Amino acid sequence: MEYLAIVFSPAALLTIFIGTFAGVAIGGMPGLTATMAVGLLVPFTYTMDPTMGLMLLGGIYAGAMYGGSIPAILLNTPGTPAAVATAIEGYPMSRAGRAPLALKTSVTASFVGGTFSVLILLLFAPFLARQALAFGPAETFLLALMGLAGIISIADENSSLIKALIAGVLGMIIALVGTDDMSGSLRYTMGMVDLIDGIDFMPALIGLFSMIQMLELAGQRGHEIDTSALHKAQKREKLPKGIGRFMGLGAGTGTLIGILPGEGATIAAFISYNVAKRISKTRELFGKGNPEGIAAAEAGNNGCVGGSLVPTITLGIPGNSVAAALMGAFIIQGMIPGPDLFTEYADRTYPFILSLFVANGVFLAIGLFFAPYLARIALVPPAIMVPVVAAFAVLGSYALNNSVFDIYLMIAFALGGLVLKKLGYSLEALILGLILGPIAEGGFAQGMVIGRGSPWIFFESNIAKVMWLIILALLIPPLYSYWKHVHRAGKAAG
Amino acid sequence: MQKKWADRALLVVFILLAALLYRSAADYPGIAQTTSAKYVRFLAVFIGVLCLAQLGFGLMREHGREVLVLSESPRRFFGLLVGLVLFAIAFEPLGFYLSAALFIPAIGWMLGYRRPLVLALTTAGVLGFVYVVFVQLLSVRLPGIEIF
Repeated sequence: MEYLAIVFSPAALLTIFIGTFAGVAIGGMPGLTATMAVGLLVPFTYTMDPTMGLMLLGGIYAGAMYGGSIPAILLNTPGTPAAVATAIEGYPMSRAGRAPLALKTSVTASFVGGTFSVLILLLFAPFLARQALAFGPAETFLLALMGLAGIISIADENSSLIKALIAGVLGMIIALVGTDDMSGSLRYTMGMVDLIDGIDFMPALIGLFSMIQMLELAGQRGHEIDTSALHKAQKREKLPKGIGRFMGLGAGTGTLIGILPGEGATIAAFISYNVAKRISKTRELFGKGNPEGIAAAEAGNNGCVGGSLVPTITLGIPGNSVAAALMGAFIIQGMIPGPDLFTEYADRTYPFILSLFVANGVFLAIGLFFAPYLARIALVPPAIMVPVVAAFAVLGSYALNNSVFDIYLMIAFALGGLVLKKLGYSLEALILGLILGPIAEGGFAQGMVIGRGSPWIFFESNIAKVMWLIILALLIPPLYSYWKHVHRAGKAAG
Repeated sequence: MQKKWADRALLVVFILLAALLYRSAADYPGIAQTTSAKYVRFLAVFIGVLCLAQLGFGLMREHGREVLVLSESPRRFFGLLVGLVLFAIAFEPLGFYLSAALFIPAIGWMLGYRRPLVLALTTAGVLGFVYVVFVQLLSVRLPGIEIF
């Protein structure tokens, strides 16, 4: 009760509201990430009351994770990498005039995923963190493979499985550029200083998902948008029946993956999306605007919020980069992660955890209230929309590293991506390979070192065996249905 | 250019890249030979085999004459592309505000929007928003000459 009184004090509620609102706005802007915002604000919280400072940062984290879905749905521009899967389903829904439903699904699923994960954080933090310690590099590699298995399900009846795989591996190859972590030597940088740290995925993401859209829009002969569908869609659409189980699926998956050190919301979103696609009764609608996909992906990435804080505050192992920045806020306040946080600093830690529930409620209210208005972005004439989005794309590419090189990179990705897209290669697979490639390589390389060069390390532990089974379960059904499709098409042709 | 030929040319480029990537793994130093180099070789072989398979399937099955069209209106498409490159070039010497103040109305005009007041207000709105959110709230440093 004492902790609840702290959270529900006017000052705390205002702090949480400001943090969450700012988080939604930051997450909604392509190029700005929760990591960047939390990292920038950590020094400012030093002068604040410690509990208030942590609540502000927690609000930003929760809000930004949801906020990423807004431009993903409306503009096909994921505000954060974790919203890529949301864009796959959300944008086709917007194009069909169903943006309000997509936004409502997104915010509800985000709320469910976020709230569930914070509940788990509150109840099981110390126990779950100990389980996560059993995850070594080999299991991390397998977890990345599980995420990459999503490439198989990106390929459907309309796109070639081989081309999806080529795009995915191409993304992993692009991710090789930079410094080799094992030897510290430079590779494929062509002597360019800007490539020493590798190719940041934000310019790639902005180029592949935002600029391509703008280039296509600019190059269309007729610029008129049929707004009647959008007006019609302003009438409230109810959430589809049975969508709750996809939210539950995402919430569980996201929380579990969030707990694993180093794993992020992007993997959680893709794995949740992938499983949802497998179990859905309306599988054929995936990729064309299925709210079930949004529900799973958004509950998945928001599930990571609470999950990632489990190892962070109990063991001092950040669940992901935002959690690492948050850990910095704990440390500068003298709150060293560990058992002390739940005893000596309980009066700060528990209000912080409880404030995340409020933050979830705040973004739910923001999302539900603003969703119909946000959908009106689609009414802006393309001749205005294109230069404005392009300017933000340029700024977003630049802002992360203060690098003009990243702007050129974004343009190159947009142009190259457009050629690939026109030739039938999956850009979603490309970006998935680009994001998960470094995680897969890191896990593989460290696993090989621990296994003294033997690949058996990836099959040894019980966790690894279970993970291989899950990977096979993810791969076999889509491969079989794809084979059946090709076989049927071959018969029809022959 | 026909789509099938463009695709085949791209696949050949990828196969050559795969070969170069495989060869490059031999130069990895020390411990990287048993770790990163193996990963790189795996990727090189995997993409090489996939590209060869796709090339084979394409030669056997693709007989269409569909032409690769990047844009229905090349003037607008390349106009935006050139605008972006000029924006990037001007970004540091002119600063974000000045270059964006030129870029947004110029591209809007090029795309056929003919209401100068709306273009001016939109540009001012974007610049004001960037100043408040990025510069003031988030302390993002923007380069060059600043008009604020």
